[in-house]
Amino acid sequence: MGGLRAALGRLRVAGGITVGQLRHHRLRLGLAIIGVGLAVLAMTLLAGVGMGVLETGEQQFEAADRDLWVTAGETRLTPAGGGGFENSLTDSRSVAAEMEGQDGVANAVPLAFETVYVGTDSDGDFQTFIGTGVPGTGSIVQVSEGERLSGDPHYAEGSYDGERTNEVLIDEETARALDIEIGDTIHAGGSLAAARNNEFTVVGVSPTFERMLGAPTVVMPLSELHQATGTTQTEPATFITITVEDGADTDAVQTALSESHPEYEIRSNQEQLEAVLEEQILVLAAGGALIVLALVAGVALTHTLLTLVIFQQRAAFAALSAQGISSSLLVASVVGQGLAIGLIGGLVGLVLTPPAVELLNRIAAAVVGFDGLVQTAPEILAAALAVAIVIGTIAAALAGWRVSRTPPLEHL
Amino acid sequence: MTPPSSAAPAPSDDGAATDAREHATDPPPVVRATDVTKIYTRGSDPGRIGRLLGRPDAPKVRALESASVAIEPGEIVGLAGPSGSGKSTLLHLLAGLELPTEGTVTFQETDLESLSTRQRTRLRLEHVGIVFQHFHLLESLSARANVALPLVELGVRKRDRRERAERLLERVGLGDRTGHRPGELSGGEQQRVAIARALVTDPTLVIADEPTGELDTETGRRVLDEFERIADDRAVVLASHDRPTLEIADRIVRLTDGTIRGDDET
Repeated sequence: MGGLRAALGRLRVAGGITVGQLRHHRLRLGLAIIGVGLAVLAMTLLAGVGMGVLETGEQQFEAADRDLWVTAGETRLTPAGGGGFENSLTDSRSVAAEMEGQDGVANAVPLAFETVYVGTDSDGDFQTFIGTGVPGTGSIVQVSEGERLSGDPHYAEGSYDGERTNEVLIDEETARALDIEIGDTIHAGGSLAAARNNEFTVVGVSPTFERMLGAPTVVMPLSELHQATGTTQTEPATFITITVEDGADTDAVQTALSESHPEYEIRSNQEQLEAVLEEQILVLAAGGALIVLALVAGVALTHTLLTLVIFQQRAAFAALSAQGISSSLLVASVVGQGLAIGLIGGLVGLVLTPPAVELLNRIAAAVVGFDGLVQTAPEILAAALAVAIVIGTIAAALAGWRVSRTPPLEHL
Repeated sequence: MTPPSSAAPAPSDDGAATDAREHATDPPPVVRATDVTKIYTRGSDPGRIGRLLGRPDAPKVRALESASVAIEPGEIVGLAGPSGSGKSTLLHLLAGLELPTEGTVTFQETDLESLSTRQRTRLRLEHVGIVFQHFHLLESLSARANVALPLVELGVRKRDRRERAERLLERVGLGDRTGHRPGELSGGEQQRVAIARALVTDPTLVIADEPTGELDTETGRRVLDEFERIADDRAVVLASHDRPTLEIADRIVRLTDGTIRGDDET
């Protein structure tokens, strides 16, 4: 009982030293807290970016309001220009028509993403954008301003001699980049020569593909994209997107399509996202590395800060140690400082996280068109706080232990 | 804590036996250093791999050479000598802060080498008070809390700690400054707080390394008065190269280049 009371008494004194040291060195305390807070912020934001990439990708696939995605081979991004998916699904219109004839399929729509040169003047500079080809009036495309595409008459049952509409939809990023608005004309094509010869009129603004791809796009009738890129013979598409009929079992339709078209990959939204991400192994590796780096940086920064804080007190502790104060009392007071700085710094980091996420998301939305690119989850916040507290405490304990193990005269 | 007893060596001849009988009633020295040599290694040891790679051994510095001195209860002993003469080293050996490379240091007849690090720490807590040149008070604690801190280790109750700390601060003339932090005190006042802290466990030996080194003449004089007052029945060892500081000593041990060159009463 007496031993317990003595231990509690020592703990109270250690706590008193902890509070005293923290209150007395307010600038040092403030800087340490800010440092740990920033470490926590770095962890939550970097982890939030990794999580946001996955979440945003899934949301974009969901937002496309498709049930199944048909691809032929890889769906990787091409390295050229503004990007675009590998268009390995050829003769896409025929394949889509076949699939549309199967039970449970409401419609099958080929989508092509091609890199195109776009400029406002046939003799001026051209920039690369993602040209998106959609069949018909582009009913899957959401129009926020202006009008829809009027149709795809140029296809003319595969003869490509129907009337051209010369209509395009743009998104806000494209409008900003080219300084154009509805009613303006642009030149677009798969080569500079083709671009100079193909004039289009902007009829509306659509955010659909900018959100899906995270890059500026121009949307035009599929046949006119194939014509502008010189691919009318093969009619390539990136995907065929399928909407199942109301009440139909998506899994059953997927299975039936897979059996009737074994040469194609037929995936759900989630499977398609995973397939895209799997092929973007470098992106995933970079995202994973960011999260690991965030953790390592947070741990290193917290450890260094706490070690510095404790080492600044080594002379005073050495003097006490020389006088016979036990290392356990000194380490206890130091652990208290680590715990307090880790906890307060961690909480500061958590408080700063939501506004920082909001700011980054606004920037990301303005620059690349993705909403909610950085996302947080309670698990991320809890993990970051735990790292701050645990590492802060352990780092302080280690530093205190090292100080207490060093002969006091070395510090005096 | 009573220092663990060590077996005293048996007298080896008749003369020594007679000498031992003659002094049987004298109290033993508080601390005795016998033929102590202290060698420091400058820099880090190269280790096996370092040696294989041809790294030379770290140079050795002989800080103290075959020094012998005994400190009796109630006396103030000054350690004099220029910088690097071995004063501080001898002081640290007497306080049990370090162990000699050769020779023995016995504290109340206990060979310090026979004690573990923890036991030596406990011995210092209970029997040795230390005053540093740079005070080394905890800036965040009040003068009273600084003085009372060693008592925490001894399990003294809070009220008793407080009373004893205030009594000692009163004794060193700081009764009205007990709640002040070191930063609110002058250098002399801080050193007096440090003296009170050194005395709070009622030690049998007080050591002070250049206790007036950071103080002006007048303040230093007042601090030395405190040392004279506290001597009473305890031993005080002061290391200094300052003449007024050494003037309060009953005996001065003079060191040069790590060797004791004189041990004279004043």
